[in-house]
Amino acid sequence: MAAAAKTEGRDAGGLARKLLSYAVLLLLTLIFVAPLLWMVSTSFKPNPETTALPLSWIPKTFSTEGYSTILNSSSQSPALLWFLNSMIAGLANTALILVTASMAAYALARMEFRGKRFLFAAIISTLFIPPIILLTPNYQIVDQFGWLDTLLAVIVPGAAGAFGVFFLRQFFLSLPKELEEAAMLDGANRYQIFFRIILPLSKAPLATLATLSFLTNWNDFLWPVYVLFTPGNLTLPPGLAILQGAYTTNYAVIMAGGVLASIPVLIVFIIAQRYIIQGVARSGLKG
Amino acid sequence: MAAQGIEQTGAQPTPPAAGYPSGGKAESTGSFSWTPYVFLAPYLLLFTVFIVVPAIFGLWISLHNWDYLLPEQPWVGLQNYVNLFTPGSPTAGFFWQSMEATGIFTLFSVPFLVIIPLLVALILNQSFRGRNFFRAMYFAPYVLGVAVVGVLWQYILNPGFGLINYYLGALGIGEGAVPWTTALPWAWISLVGMTVWWTLGFNAIIYLAGLQDINQELYEAAKVDGANRWQRFVNITIPGLRPVFLFVITVTILASANMFGQSYLVTDGAPANETRTAIMYIAEEGLENFRMGSAAAMSYILALFLALISILNFRFLNQKEED
Amino acid sequence: MGRRLTRREFLLAGAGAGAGLMVLGGCGASRDQAAAARTAAGGGARYTGPKVNLAFWNGFTGGDGPIMLELVNQFNSEHENIQVDMVTMMWAPDFYQKAPAAVAAGQGPNVAIMHVDRLGLNAARGVIIPLDGVVEALGLQESSFASTIWDAGVYEGKRYGIPLDTHPLGFYYNKAVMEEGGLDPNRPPQTRDEYMEALEELKGKDIQGSWVPPSLFTGWHMFTSLLWQFGGDLYNEDVTRATVNSDAGVEAMSWMVDLVKRGYSPKNVAQDGDVIALQNGQNAFNWNGIWMINVFGAVPELEWGVAPLPQIGTEKAAWANSHNFVIPNQPNPDPNKLRAAKVFIAWVIESSQKWAEGGQVPALNEVREGQAFEDLEWQPEFAKELPYVHFGPSAPGVTEINENILYTAVNEAVLLNEEPRAALDTAVERANKLLQQNQQKYGGY
Repeated sequence: MAAAAKTEGRDAGGLARKLLSYAVLLLLTLIFVAPLLWMVSTSFKPNPETTALPLSWIPKTFSTEGYSTILNSSSQSPALLWFLNSMIAGLANTALILVTASMAAYALARMEFRGKRFLFAAIISTLFIPPIILLTPNYQIVDQFGWLDTLLAVIVPGAAGAFGVFFLRQFFLSLPKELEEAAMLDGANRYQIFFRIILPLSKAPLATLATLSFLTNWNDFLWPVYVLFTPGNLTLPPGLAILQGAYTTNYAVIMAGGVLASIPVLIVFIIAQRYIIQGVARSGLKG
Repeated sequence: MAAQGIEQTGAQPTPPAAGYPSGGKAESTGSFSWTPYVFLAPYLLLFTVFIVVPAIFGLWISLHNWDYLLPEQPWVGLQNYVNLFTPGSPTAGFFWQSMEATGIFTLFSVPFLVIIPLLVALILNQSFRGRNFFRAMYFAPYVLGVAVVGVLWQYILNPGFGLINYYLGALGIGEGAVPWTTALPWAWISLVGMTVWWTLGFNAIIYLAGLQDINQELYEAAKVDGANRWQRFVNITIPGLRPVFLFVITVTILASANMFGQSYLVTDGAPANETRTAIMYIAEEGLENFRMGSAAAMSYILALFLALISILNFRFLNQKEED
Repeated sequence: MGRRLTRREFLLAGAGAGAGLMVLGGCGASRDQAAAARTAAGGGARYTGPKVNLAFWNGFTGGDGPIMLELVNQFNSEHENIQVDMVTMMWAPDFYQKAPAAVAAGQGPNVAIMHVDRLGLNAARGVIIPLDGVVEALGLQESSFASTIWDAGVYEGKRYGIPLDTHPLGFYYNKAVMEEGGLDPNRPPQTRDEYMEALEELKGKDIQGSWVPPSLFTGWHMFTSLLWQFGGDLYNEDVTRATVNSDAGVEAMSWMVDLVKRGYSPKNVAQDGDVIALQNGQNAFNWNGIWMINVFGAVPELEWGVAPLPQIGTEKAAWANSHNFVIPNQPNPDPNKLRAAKVFIAWVIESSQKWAEGGQVPALNEVREGQAFEDLEWQPEFAKELPYVHFGPSAPGVTEINENILYTAVNEAVLLNEEPRAALDTAVERANKLLQQNQQKYGGY
């Protein structure tokens, strides 16, 4: 009897807790999503409406002048070029990372060679280097190569980070050695093992790394702001900064730029959500 | 390289004694093989050119008066470093002010970014319908870069026609327009607030993974022993999250200490450079004032601070775990 | 509701300046043969080469941007074989960081605008090329320009800029507020005594008549104007030492600070607070740049006027800056583009009447002395100041010292955090160290 009453009480408490949880979650969702909706809404207003009170969530006058201004590919704000540049840089950088990091990670995970420990320690320790100390010298180096104001400056240096190597090495270590040993008994060499066995098994972490790398490159701000200058050569983040400066209070234009910059990453996010979240979670647990 | 590998070998299995150049057996018996180096080379090339060389080159730059557009870069030894510790020098005042700004931001943002995501993760950890949807919503801002987040919040926080002041005014709170982006302490509140909005999802995901890693049997056992929710939380959850705490706190501190975009886009360091963070000032000194040696020196000092904090953090949290 | 302007939008005119190498010329230049200049210009500046695209970079992100764009579009329609593509980004930090970087990477624009106080730095770093002889090729002569403005574009004996305009500080007054204070709205004070009397009268009616901004715009400009009025200067002749802490400087700063202490201005005026107060009828007087005429003009029902700066010190003086055309360095200069750029420069300068409407004083005599300019409502008031406007010395790096070091003294003093002399002394000490560094760096100028 007492037990039954206790269970009932617990259920009632449980229900209340559940409702409270839902309420909190919904409120949080509102807080997280509202600004994004505001960005979209503003991008479809005529400019004077974006600074006039009272504010309204639905545009009083629906207008696409924000978009037409930036998509016009004027020399001032060639947003389509920025989009294209970001896309090229993101894909190229991701490809570069996948190729170089996977090979290096495999070597560190499975091969023996002189200086392996030292090398691994050296690579990992760079995870703790604050990127800022590399800013000025890398600027000079990139200048020497003639890459300033070109996409190479935002594709290549970014692939030197240690995260990819670290991440993939973790995964490779977790693969059962038997597979490789069996293959070696059959006479396969390392290259074959890598391409025919390891990589196919690594689709998930590779997808995760690809997604995270693409996102990081797409959103990179500090470095591109300083190595890209001609408006036609910018990627979206420095482009947005220029947009904000050049169109100071023309928020329809600025928000349109923001929407343009957000769409690809949100699409990637929706599709690859699982990979991203898994990747973030894994790095937290092992790191 | 891929092509090489496949051409080199046939596909027929043969015993290792046939002498393939890079069989596993050969490696483990110690005979030299190029293979590891081939695998490592591409990455090592990038690593050397863009991390190792700059790390050293940066030190070299910091020992000069360096403007890359001028024909000569005069050697000044440790002068750039000394200047940072000499009150009255052109850079000391601004540098330490920017370090202070970084410190203030880190101090105020880290607690929120460590605690609130934990609470969110605790709620999300229960299984209920729509959990993945909510998880996605909270994480969504994180996939947007600082540029989008910055220009968006600069608009929302605008004292005259921004969303925040609009609602505050409608609710009758406060007198007149709150100067979210132009005066203290509002600017700090703005910067911390928008950073929490932006990156909360990231930490929440990590906590979530950590929570799911805790052995559920521990909870069952505790329930049987009569422990209530709070006791279970304190005695199982918190200790179980120790390693995750270390990661979250370290990463959050480092991220906050490296804050640049928010100040650059939302407050532009206003008022009067009070919200100009160390990164912002270093970038300005090197790439806008063309004093790269001085900027490099500053970045190494900042790096030292961060290293110190990371070590202390590690020691402190690790020690607790050993208790 | 008035548009709330940010510091950024005010950054049309860069930082304050010092007299340095300036010679205070006579009023305008002597009347030259306008007709002859015109023909020569028309004859000399014509482009007959193959079609070229010119990249034209500037920082006109404020209200003058659209006007320059109009001029560019008009130029493009009138010139078949020249296509000018205008690119605008904020003066600071974007333009002055990206333009030199682009030039260094070999991707610099073909023609650009820079403030006259930035010419020295960019010349020393090889960002822009000397333009001696360009003026003649444009069919213009030295005497075609106001000498004060013309002389400013020289660094180390070479000319680096062709002036388009000057934008000085002026004295804005709210007529309604003046009336409220019992003053004659059509007689703004022009001497120290008149100014102080007016403020007293206003104070008697509970009006704070002259809000003093502690911010760069325009606290700095106000201070430098006063500094020159009291006979002082920002730097010594060879720009090796800052001299703002001279007696003249202290007197100038003290007068400004006294306005706050005596209650003619509130403390802690917010950014643009003085402007908004004038718009809202709480402030009577505002020392601000010519660029404000379109801002104030856009506020409905605001009765205002502008006059030359009152003379508070022993002489007349007014802060000003100037937009100059420059030609950035190219690794492989294209002679056709160079020729086309010169044509473009000449055309815009001759069409600067339109530019004046945006709130500028044209540098070309012919335009400034023309009827169309005289007919403008407010710009001629600023032109009156031409005999005594001051620019910065063209030494490399002074802009940074002005805006980051010397300006902080103004900020500290106006906020009553430090006494004027102490604030100025501290600033001078720091400035001198940086000046020393710059001397070494740029090889003595």
